[in-house]
Amino acid sequence: MKEEKDKLSRRDFIRSGIRGASLLGLGGILGLFYNRARASDLVWQLDPYKCIQCGKCADNCVLEISAVKCVHNFNMCGYCRLCTGYFNPQPNALNTAAENQLCPLGAIKRNFVEDPYHEYTIDESLCIGCGKCVKGCYSFGNGSLFLQVRHDRCLNCNDCAIGRACPANAYKRVPASQPYLFKGKA
Amino acid sequence: MKLSKTNFLIGIVITVAIVIALVIILRTAVTTDKKTTIGNIFIYDIKEFSKTDPNLIKYKEISKIKTGLQNPYAITTDSSDHIYVTGDKSIKIFDAQGNVLSEIKLNDSPQCLTIAGDGSIYIGMKEHIEVYNPTGKLIKKWNSLGQNVVITAIAVSGDNIFIADAGRKIVLRYDIFGKPKATIGKRNPDKGIPGFVIPSPYFDLAVAPDGLLKVVNPGLHKIEAYTFDGDLESSWGETSIDIRGFSGCCNPVNIAILSDGNFVTCEKGIPRVKVYNSKGIFDSVVGGAESFADTVGIYNPAETKEDSTKALDVAVDSKDHILVLDPVEKTIRKWIKNIR
Repeated sequence: MKEEKDKLSRRDFIRSGIRGASLLGLGGILGLFYNRARASDLVWQLDPYKCIQCGKCADNCVLEISAVKCVHNFNMCGYCRLCTGYFNPQPNALNTAAENQLCPLGAIKRNFVEDPYHEYTIDESLCIGCGKCVKGCYSFGNGSLFLQVRHDRCLNCNDCAIGRACPANAYKRVPASQPYLFKGKA
Repeated sequence: MKLSKTNFLIGIVITVAIVIALVIILRTAVTTDKKTTIGNIFIYDIKEFSKTDPNLIKYKEISKIKTGLQNPYAITTDSSDHIYVTGDKSIKIFDAQGNVLSEIKLNDSPQCLTIAGDGSIYIGMKEHIEVYNPTGKLIKKWNSLGQNVVITAIAVSGDNIFIADAGRKIVLRYDIFGKPKATIGKRNPDKGIPGFVIPSPYFDLAVAPDGLLKVVNPGLHKIEAYTFDGDLESSWGETSIDIRGFSGCCNPVNIAILSDGNFVTCEKGIPRVKVYNSKGIFDSVVGGAESFADTVGIYNPAETKEDSTKALDVAVDSKDHILVLDPVEKTIRKWIKNIR
């Protein structure tokens, strides 16, 4: 009699099967939503320690003017009188004359702080992300200038065109909550 | 219809002119390089400034000594021409031929060192000084010199110890017991002292045969001469990427002084070692950028991942041989004057 009671009836078996399948389906749907949400929370960013300043960021973005811009970590900057990210290698004088500037677009602004220190800021509306100043800074100085994808304009393509062209494999997905990869202490 | 003589001549002139024009056009089309002379303005390239005029090179490299250290950092010599190299939490001591004499193990990474007249080894750690006897026994460990101290160079002259502090941008004079005596080089416009400008942690000093303390002011591309009490006597140095000057944010990075008071300077960015006379007039090149092309080199991340912040250090021995510590090749490279 006890054996009869423990035996699963066909009806119970089907009922349990439907319940299990429903739970599995629900889990799958939740997982799908989770993955989609997670994917949309990732953005492209350029690892400044892998960047080789090849210039491809300026040419390969799908935007007319690249979403990659030079950024400046002021904590690392020496506020140099002769900034090799700002001046061409052989300037006539250490002033803001166009012929002395390294940036072909004049996108770096030089402001006097106190003798002999100067502050350098990037005008992002002019910067095209060529990385010329980044290489100049790192060649002689501390490397406080570096390139980053600016997320106020990046379209966050599924397959980043610059990342595909990057010879240093410096592009990676990072959480949208921490979209920048800073050098030194941010 | 008869052709007049004038018309005939005009016809010949026009024909010749057309032929010449065609020849010029075709020749230009064939031979002219179609590239513009402007080049790619978006590429940073300083290679053209790294070529050294062979006539300026008056030294030749005669030998290399392998340090056996992973991160050799600083070099000095003693009166017996023994060579001391710091790195990897140790000091390695070589004879003039490059044979290892001994090795002193340390608890921390030394930033700089110098040898006193009695053979005592003064080592600058990040913020304190340690003194060892010639056999490598710790004699004295000074207290920390304070917060924000970054010791980058040390020199001994008689009873005076000079310490370059890149963190606070000053030079400190102590006696041999570690008692502070003077602060040198603090910005003072009334005394004409510009203050040290140190964008990166390279800040060297040495005592010259004229009895003055020579301190590099790397951000101003100058070498300044101070009395031991801190009066600025003179300075020299020109900002220029030209071989006669110093360029970049901060050069020269390291110096040594020859027996006649001439200076040996090391630069980073475009790595080169040069000699200036005691008044700061350019004399000659020891090793140009070509000499370091395969080691420290010019920063080119597309070709090498070498850390561009590694800089050469230099020492001289009693025979005025120039010993350059190459941190990438991890060798001591010896140059002597090329007598022709």
